[in-house]
Amino acid sequence: MKKVGTPEYNLQDKLKYHLSALSTAAKQVALPLNITTHYPRERRRWPDCFRGYILFDPERCISCFQCSFICPANAIWMKEAPSNRYYPTLDYGKCIFCHFCVDSCPGGALKPTKIHDVAYRTMEEMLTLTEEMVEPPEIIREDKVFVDYVIDTEDLSLKRTKGRDNLIVEIAPSQGVPMVSQCVDRASCIACKVCEKVCESGAVSSIKDEERLIVKMAIDAEKCTGCGLCVKECSMQILRLVRK
Amino acid sequence: MLHANIKTGEEVIHMATPAEEELGESKWEVKVPEKKLKDKLFFENLKAVVIDTNLCSRCLTCVSICPSGLIVTDEDIVGFPDFEKNCFDCGACVRVCPRFIYEPPSGLGNYIEIVAAKSKRFKGQDGAMATELIASAIDMGMIDQGLFVDRNEKWETSIFHVRYPEQVGVGTLGGTKYVFAGILPALKEAIRFTKKGVGVVGTPCMISGIRKLQQEFPVFKEKVKLVVGLFCTENFHYNDLMKFLRDEKGIEIEKILKTNISKGSMYVTVAGAEKKRKIKMAEFEERGLVAKGCDFCTDFTAVQSDASVGSVGSEAGFSTIIVRNENAKEVMAFIREKGTAEFGEKVVMDEIDYLIKFKKKREEHIKELKLPE
Ligand SMILES: Cc1cc2nc3c(=O)[nH]c(=O)nc-3n(C[C@H](O)[C@H](O)[C@H](O)COP(=O)(O)OP(=O)(O)OC[C@H]3O[C@@H](n4cnc5c(N)ncnc54)[C@H](O)[C@@H]3O)c2cc1C
Ligand code: SF4
Ligand code: SF4
Ligand code: SF4
Ligand code: SF4
Ligand code: SF4
Repeated sequence: MKKVGTPEYNLQDKLKYHLSALSTAAKQVALPLNITTHYPRERRRWPDCFRGYILFDPERCISCFQCSFICPANAIWMKEAPSNRYYPTLDYGKCIFCHFCVDSCPGGALKPTKIHDVAYRTMEEMLTLTEEMVEPPEIIREDKVFVDYVIDTEDLSLKRTKGRDNLIVEIAPSQGVPMVSQCVDRASCIACKVCEKVCESGAVSSIKDEERLIVKMAIDAEKCTGCGLCVKECSMQILRLVRK
Repeated sequence: MLHANIKTGEEVIHMATPAEEELGESKWEVKVPEKKLKDKLFFENLKAVVIDTNLCSRCLTCVSICPSGLIVTDEDIVGFPDFEKNCFDCGACVRVCPRFIYEPPSGLGNYIEIVAAKSKRFKGQDGAMATELIASAIDMGMIDQGLFVDRNEKWETSIFHVRYPEQVGVGTLGGTKYVFAGILPALKEAIRFTKKGVGVVGTPCMISGIRKLQQEFPVFKEKVKLVVGLFCTENFHYNDLMKFLRDEKGIEIEKILKTNISKGSMYVTVAGAEKKRKIKMAEFEERGLVAKGCDFCTDFTAVQSDASVGSVGSEAGFSTIIVRNENAKEVMAFIREKGTAEFGEKVVMDEIDYLIKFKKKREEHIKELKLPE
């Protein structure tokens, strides 16, 4: 067995190590090396995929209800607008910031932001109406510096830059997997034309042939955006989205 | 896109998986039924031919298929408020209504065997064999859902989707409710979610509706796996019947435990009362309480079902079962194998024949009927 003994230092070594310790302490007093940011005076620069406050672009919404269906926290409630169209409202009292809604929106109408610090006075206020989702919320910003975490081979350090990070991200809306609607049980179609009525892209057509007593139904794959509205509304539940 | 059902050899429409579908423009044709009143909307056709003539059996097949979802049964009568504005004129309703082009079924129908039996695990109207058939079909994996008519304290009906046999042994699911029930609209919902298939119990008019749906639309053929019909001579409109029992007979509806029609009278079992209340059927007829559509109904034994269940023909506490096809035979074999039912001595065919003939006479009413040209 080998015994580990106390290291033997001579006076010179002892002096050297003491001085080094003192200088480190002095350095930390003067220029502390911590890994926390001084929020709210400075802000960490989050990546564009940060899941924060959600903005809404009514121009891109096709009222497909996809977001409200997918929300696991039931935070999205579709509300009728004066135009008779339904648009999402978002209750931040319930939202768990999973951004499933953002990912599910076929039109890219829901947009992520890096805003994570909105304060509310009441629970009621947290129910954000459609019109309030269009513009970023009012937040008080005291930050004058943004911070990046830099990882070099050994150490994690903070890099501070003067200025303000833009919290609104400019990323192209998700394209998703291109899908197209198709009828999987044609013999069960009743030619109610609900699909044609709900399709926003004019992809479904129906032509009545009075003489032969038939209705010719067609889905134009070129025009179909794969939004899935017809699939949801088909009264016989015979339409499916398939990969384009 | 046809392929054969492994069990029956019958050709069924194959639901193509997306990969099998050719891509590009998707096109198909849908047949439109012929109108009897040429320049009227389809619902107006249905209304003129079936509803306004009192031919309507209130089977609710039209309600189940109508894509607008706006055909309703307010005041016990089938109607479509504002149909001029809201009917899509698709014709689905007249395609499935068993009485738009009415070929009245009657007689005993095809059968493999007729037996009397009594469930050992459930309590019901008679031998609870209607319940037993559905429960056993779930047990053997033929279906994963059965539709039952439930009721509340006021005897208003609702449809209960049964998934486990344990669910049917309790409460008010077994037993006959002599008022109409919305089984078919619930069936349309059920086929959306079923994997193995759905089983239903209904009156003969509902069975005709189900068969029409299956004949017209493959989804129903594929997903409705067991169709149990009940023997039926008549049914009642909820509002009329309850008003009569409450106001004229002084019966508290909430206290009714069971109603039963037998040998020309209705017997009402009331909680707390020693004897059943007996009301002669003639009393109902005099007041015009029997549903009008039943006047034109000639089908006593639900000839289009897979199996029919009724009370006449077997002793008290037993149900009479007419097993009509292989499907139902399989379920009966399973019941025998598991020993979940006790079988009776024999079935008195005379009693059944009597009611078959009694209903056959209603053909006269159909002949007298004046349908719009
Ligand atoms: C309106 C009506 C009239 C009938 N008339 C006769 C008759 O004249 N002669 C005869 O022998 N038998 C008649 N029956 C059948 C009989 O009352 C029993 O339903 C049958 O014998 C089955 O009994 P069971 O104990 O096997 O059924 P149970 O196991 O008790 O099951 C009863 C089944 O009936 C269903 N049911 C109950 N009420 C309704 C309803 N309103 N509409 C559709 N389904 C319903 C329930 O969902 C349940 O599945 C009639 C049934 C009904 C609903
Ligand atoms: S999935 Fe295609 S056809 Fe259906 S509503 Fe959307 S765009 Fe129209
Ligand atoms: S909604 Fe469905 S049933 Fe109606 S026409 Fe379109 S595909 Fe056919
Ligand atoms: S929408 Fe179609 S099914 Fe409904 S009432 Fe009109 S024609 Fe009949
Ligand atoms: S008989 Fe049935 S399908 Fe025909 S109109 Fe009456 S409820 Fe509708
Ligand atoms: S008598 Fe005929 S129409 Fe009347 S409820 Fe029975 S099966 Fe239906």
